[in-house]
Amino acid sequence: MPSSLIVLFFFILIIPSAAATKYKRTVEKYQVPDVTLVNQEGQKINLRTFLNGDKPVILDFIYGTCTTICPVLSIGFSHFQKKLGPDADKVRLVSISIDPDNDTPAVMKEYLQRYNASVGWDFLTGKREDIIMVMRAFDAYVINKMNHYPLTILRGPGDEEWIRINELLSTSDLMQEYKLLLKK
Amino acid sequence: MTMRFLLVTVLCFLFVSTAAAAQNEKTVAGFTEEEVLLFGEKMYREGVLPSGEPMEALVMGDIPVDGRMFTCDDCHQRSGLGSVEGTVITWPTNGRELYRPRRKTGAWHQPESEEAKMDVRKNLPAYWEEIEEARPAYTDESLATVLWTGVDPTGRKLNPIMPLYHLEDSDMAIMVHYLKNLSVDLPPGVDDTTIRFATVVSEDIPAEAREAMLAILQAHVDVRNSQSRHQERRAESGPFYKTEMHQAYRRWELDIWKLQGPANTWSRQLREYYQKQPVFALLGGLAEGSWQPIHEFCEELKIPAIFPLTDFPVISESDWYTLYFSKGFYQEGEAAARYLHAQENIVSGTKIVMVSRQGMAGSYLNRGFSESWQVFGMPGPEHIKLAPDKKLSEQFWSDIMQAKQPDVLILWLEPVDLADISTLVEETKLPGKIILSAEMLNYSFTAIPDNLRDNVYLTYSYSLPDSQKRSKQAVKQWLRARKIPVTDLKMQSKMYFLGWMLAGAVKSMRSEFFRDYFLEGFDMMIDQDYAIAVYPRLTFGSGQRYASKGCYIVQLTKGPEPKLVEKSNWIIH
Repeated sequence: MPSSLIVLFFFILIIPSAAATKYKRTVEKYQVPDVTLVNQEGQKINLRTFLNGDKPVILDFIYGTCTTICPVLSIGFSHFQKKLGPDADKVRLVSISIDPDNDTPAVMKEYLQRYNASVGWDFLTGKREDIIMVMRAFDAYVINKMNHYPLTILRGPGDEEWIRINELLSTSDLMQEYKLLLKK
Repeated sequence: MTMRFLLVTVLCFLFVSTAAAAQNEKTVAGFTEEEVLLFGEKMYREGVLPSGEPMEALVMGDIPVDGRMFTCDDCHQRSGLGSVEGTVITWPTNGRELYRPRRKTGAWHQPESEEAKMDVRKNLPAYWEEIEEARPAYTDESLATVLWTGVDPTGRKLNPIMPLYHLEDSDMAIMVHYLKNLSVDLPPGVDDTTIRFATVVSEDIPAEAREAMLAILQAHVDVRNSQSRHQERRAESGPFYKTEMHQAYRRWELDIWKLQGPANTWSRQLREYYQKQPVFALLGGLAEGSWQPIHEFCEELKIPAIFPLTDFPVISESDWYTLYFSKGFYQEGEAAARYLHAQENIVSGTKIVMVSRQGMAGSYLNRGFSESWQVFGMPGPEHIKLAPDKKLSEQFWSDIMQAKQPDVLILWLEPVDLADISTLVEETKLPGKIILSAEMLNYSFTAIPDNLRDNVYLTYSYSLPDSQKRSKQAVKQWLRARKIPVTDLKMQSKMYFLGWMLAGAVKSMRSEFFRDYFLEGFDMMIDQDYAIAVYPRLTFGSGQRYASKGCYIVQLTKGPEPKLVEKSNWIIH
């Protein structure tokens, strides 16, 4: 067998193809709005600068009193950080509130503590109109927060394209997506 | 006679002893019934085992869960009646639902009379007969199995979002027993035909305010009951597929609970009213002073209280049964702190002096400010508490400026206290910000002299006067149609809104008339920014108990008819 074929075969074996995933996964281009949000410490954060750093970004939309979807998304983030161990702060996890009326820095801080969040996971809130702008920018806008759906959006450092996954993920799925970001 | 008396006494003793023994009997895992239900509740609501250790589970196939992060009631809710969020439907886990088959026909049952059996509207169409029941009734064993393995009695695998619990047999027995007893018997205040509500009014509330509130609540009840004839007919003769909807209809009754005398006697009076005629929930309500006695009564008896009209609610992050419009005066204090921190970037060396009189309003405003200020890690302001009879003379203002030299002066005071405040202008340096509460000023903005207005900032906890004209007009038209005079549009708008929400919350209960489920109906409501005329937004969510979360900071234009100038957003982080 020619060596190039062996390499190709090996490559197919070890790099799972996106098409092989059991969840819906698309590649998108988003323009991050130039807005200032507030994190769980009450610090002002420019979202565009924050996301454009040299770290991979994994982003979701949640709220502090959500009954079903957000706890599962957040448990996923929590366990993902645990799995990464000392490398946890090499990836930026960003949860953006879709209930800015209720999600104050104090509420968000308590929320992150409940999920044992470590450095590298930020929960952002802001003015309602800014939050709507961010949701629209990521095609995640819902009029009623109760109608939201599970959504995880990822981007590798320096990448222009984002990976969009409209379902809840297991840790192994999230880890696989993360590794794909790093391999680009 | 003596023998008979003795016999009755002995029998009574035996009965009481047997009842007590039954109460103490070890039912599950070596615990009494009461203990099992308490432990079960702790597992269900807090994710903590009787041992004090967190429950452990696996979700999404490979994510280990510490039960304290993600509790059963997060999804299934406190009532156990489940929830719907976006694309995820969480099924009921209360005893009544779990221990009966989930039927393909819902509430519909085979008609009994021969005449009804011939009526096609009351019978299942042929294709429906072929649909299988969704699942049989759970048993204790099959319920434990589904919690351990995620496989139900039909062999169907549950969505991986449902955690698989690692529970020892004894802990599982407690969990199963708790679920079996969760939301089984309907509470007092509801029967086959009627849901009974009450509203609380204390005797010192002015007659005009009392009548304005009662007229609107009664109008909501009348609107509801005007449908009774049609709804009851539909429940009798409607088509099979609407059985559940039509049979859920109940008339409403409204009682008025008048409280007399001092507030420390209210708890006893409320219990007497309740024992005489139990109600399902309290609606609205007006009472002089703190709402605390009524709040505590509701917490203790687990009675929902919807939108009492009070500026002095109980401020709690964990209490459950009272849903307020806002935190009242507390919220204004909180907003002042947030504004100074987030928008004015006040640093910790800034000299802040706060002046208030003894009394409930000042106390709520102080607390709201101080608690928020503390969250920002800022040192507390210097606080001058005035005696009730202290007159605020020119000398008072002059002394404050000279002795304290504040950068920010917070005045939780009434218009009468501001008669000589112009003296401040004579001082060499005015405080950069002078903060007052619009509510405490009773919206008498001319009490602020023109020459101070550049430095005065007000907390303003309602919609701005020129906004939401259409909503206000809609409320006025609704009142006019019911021949209710407009006497206090702010209060009347709130009660109009209550009725609007109440209809939705009752409908969302279907026939599951459980109080926790009723409150969950409000929790799951769509956030409102159009149905309420006096707040820009009211928002809801599980356990959120103050629907209005915002407050404006405004300034005043100069002249005899000052206008408000918006200086902040409604929500300030």
